[in-house]
Amino acid sequence: MKKRFPKKFMVLALITSLVFALAACSGSNNNDKASNSPDASSPAPSSPAESSAAASDKPAGDEPGWKGDTSPIKFDWYLNFAWFPNKWGVDPTSQYVTKKTGVDINFIVPAGNENEKLNSMIASGDLPDFITLGWYEEGVKKMIEGGLVEPLNKLAEEYDPYFFKVADPAKLSWYTQPDGNIYGYPNASSSPKDFQTYGSNFLSNQTFVVRKDMYEAIGSPDMRTPEGFLNALKLAKEKFPEVNGQPIIPLAFHEFGDGGNSSIMDYVQDSSMLANFLALPRQKDGKLYDRASDPEFQIWLKTLRKANEEGLLAKDIFIDKRAQMEEKIAQGRYFAMLYQRTDFAAQQNVLYANDPNSVYIAVDGPANSKLEDPTLAGPGISGWTVTLISKKVKDKARAVKFLSYLISEEGQKDLYLGEKGVSYDTIDGKDQFLPDALNLMNTDRSAFDKKYGASYTFWMLMDTNMNLQWAPPSVEPAKQLEDWTKGKLISTSEFDLISPPATSQEGINSTKISNAWGKALTQLLLAKSDEEFDKIYADFIALRDKNGFTEIQAYKQQKYEEYAAKLKEFSK
Amino acid sequence: MNASLNDIPVKPAAPKSKSAKLMTKWYNQRYLQVMVLLGVAWMIIFNYIPMYGIIIAFKDYNLITSISDAPWAGLEHFKAFLDDDELTSVIRNTLGISLIKLIIGFPLPIIFALFLNELRSLRFKKAVQTISYLPHFLSWVILGGILATWLSDIGIINKLLLSMNFIDEPISYLAEPSYFWSIVISSDIWKELGWSAIIYIAAMAGVSPELYEAATIDGAGRFQKMFYVTLPCIKGTIVILFILAVSGVLNSNFDQILVLKNQLNDSASNVIDIYVYKVGISQGRFSYSTAVGLIKSIIALFLLLIANSVSKRLSQTSLF
Repeated sequence: MKKRFPKKFMVLALITSLVFALAACSGSNNNDKASNSPDASSPAPSSPAESSAAASDKPAGDEPGWKGDTSPIKFDWYLNFAWFPNKWGVDPTSQYVTKKTGVDINFIVPAGNENEKLNSMIASGDLPDFITLGWYEEGVKKMIEGGLVEPLNKLAEEYDPYFFKVADPAKLSWYTQPDGNIYGYPNASSSPKDFQTYGSNFLSNQTFVVRKDMYEAIGSPDMRTPEGFLNALKLAKEKFPEVNGQPIIPLAFHEFGDGGNSSIMDYVQDSSMLANFLALPRQKDGKLYDRASDPEFQIWLKTLRKANEEGLLAKDIFIDKRAQMEEKIAQGRYFAMLYQRTDFAAQQNVLYANDPNSVYIAVDGPANSKLEDPTLAGPGISGWTVTLISKKVKDKARAVKFLSYLISEEGQKDLYLGEKGVSYDTIDGKDQFLPDALNLMNTDRSAFDKKYGASYTFWMLMDTNMNLQWAPPSVEPAKQLEDWTKGKLISTSEFDLISPPATSQEGINSTKISNAWGKALTQLLLAKSDEEFDKIYADFIALRDKNGFTEIQAYKQQKYEEYAAKLKEFSK
Repeated sequence: MNASLNDIPVKPAAPKSKSAKLMTKWYNQRYLQVMVLLGVAWMIIFNYIPMYGIIIAFKDYNLITSISDAPWAGLEHFKAFLDDDELTSVIRNTLGISLIKLIIGFPLPIIFALFLNELRSLRFKKAVQTISYLPHFLSWVILGGILATWLSDIGIINKLLLSMNFIDEPISYLAEPSYFWSIVISSDIWKELGWSAIIYIAAMAGVSPELYEAATIDGAGRFQKMFYVTLPCIKGTIVILFILAVSGVLNSNFDQILVLKNQLNDSASNVIDIYVYKVGISQGRFSYSTAVGLIKSIIALFLLLIANSVSKRLSQTSLF
């Protein structure tokens, strides 16, 4: 019988399965290698910009350099933000800027995971002309240390001294690297001076919000104390067990990730909305302070645990990613949220259009036992993103000149207001948006971006203080949330850049600890009793100490002192 | 296509030396050889050349420097993995999921193929076959989204079970670590059952009808024919696929687990592949994750060799 075994099929089976098996075996550990093997050895081709004649006709420091050459040029610009939906040259604003400066832009946006895309670009040494990414990204350090990006100060000295005229010296100094060079310029950044000038208008993103109609229906209770907080959630759940036929979710946070949850405590970025609401300081007497171990913080963590015990935390909030959360916000399924207000602005507009009473309003949320005002995170000097120019840039002179244009008042005005007569005009002696444009901006932001492209649709180098002179007053439903945060924020810039690099021993340990925290946090909230809670927390602390927490804190302390000293310089 | 190429007339040649014979044989098969060449080239480029990168497991590699410039680190990364806090849970989850998948998921397609083979109505058989392998073509990203909806506390599974009074209150299945393995295994079987059965159905199609006729004459019933004719005839295929499945025990279905895992079921869903992805891609520790991947591949190789030699002794069937 064995002889009769169908050989053909066996061979076929063997080959197909071998091919699949080999492909599968090699797949998992070759992915990262395949991406970094090819170009690693190829020498960087000399930049064509070397031959540029710009060096010979150096413009004077007061003259905008970009006016000297407006011949057409197209730059590639990488954005480390997969969600960015817009293209340059579709809307009148970007067309206007291209007409004016000759610079056209091709935005490169990662299709999936940003880190993967950036890492593979770094590994292959194939960086586009401009790169914009969050200052907190590991990639910034990698590119600078790897010598893949141009020092902006050197470029400016050589080609465009005008840069120093328009750049904010405090921001330059803040981003000066140990080698004395500046590689990136931030957006949405506010120096201590800005804080003094504009501080009263500054807004924070961090809000505690409740659904207006429900909150009023249960008698607008005080939610600042643990008892009041739990009680309000309970009342809301009793009174509104269902929203549009689906169970209500009494309380929501930002999505849970590997390092915890930024609403409660995220160890990677050391960001915690809850700690800010409790007005816990990040340092005491010049020493970094471990906010998670503060008794006030523990009281509130236990309050959240209690909430879970009483069935007030739905399982969904641990599982849902941002997309699912946004869907639920638009349906109004959450009663209360500890959530950044700008992260649900679009959904808020949907609710507002359906019924102005069903929107989320900001109310006083969790507070410490003295019921002090929260100390929310405000704009900082680090800003949001930094923009770098790569060594592979097509034309160094044009690149730095365009950068200077973008951060100059003229560039800011062009990108904020757009072209005169199209999206803005001088009305009552003030340059402001035309009514049609303003209306569209307040109701449908993405349509506005496509149709006008103004109001910092292209935010890569936006200066969120300079635009205040042209900004229209905000309208409901956003206004209530914004107003609530006014006067409740502090600057925490000195804590921004203190994390150890991810591949150093401190960095590896710090990631381990933060992953352990991510796991511990869910266990803490799901603990059946306060005793179990204490045990889980003690286990976490033990693990934290085992993994070199002291060294990490020492590293951070040193960095913190450096930056605090730097900041002091600026406010003089 | 194979048939037409095989039909190229071969001139009967006079007896020659061995090597000349081989040359003539090759020459006569030249079109087939060219086709094979493409496959070999593909394999060299995509499977063998990248293997050079394995050396970063023994180096402190970062993205900026080239692989050859990175300083040597010896076995440091391997030691670090053995000391890792997550090691035990990662291994437990990987082996747990894979072994249960092997025990339940391996025989099912064979049984399914056996029954399908017994169907008299050809049209019905084809229809069942097509329907059962269709889910294979849905990617896990899509299926994961569907499953997350079905398994949520307001999903169809809960509604069904509630209305039949199997459970008293809705369970958020993906939020409970205790359900995770069963979800992963059963959804994988559901998705791949029909697809995996194809290879057995193909093998069964090759069983000579004479054997069945002889068995019928000897008075064998349906089940007896299944056991004494069909199964022994496809034994070779089964053994080969089993050897390959054993070597894949440390592989878990990466896409599937990535889309189904979340912070709550992490204690049951953190498998080697996910761990390598998290550490390597997200945290940028390429050397470390390559070391982990290499350990995995070496263990897989040993499993393959052991399974192969065991089957060689027991059933005289083996891969090589």
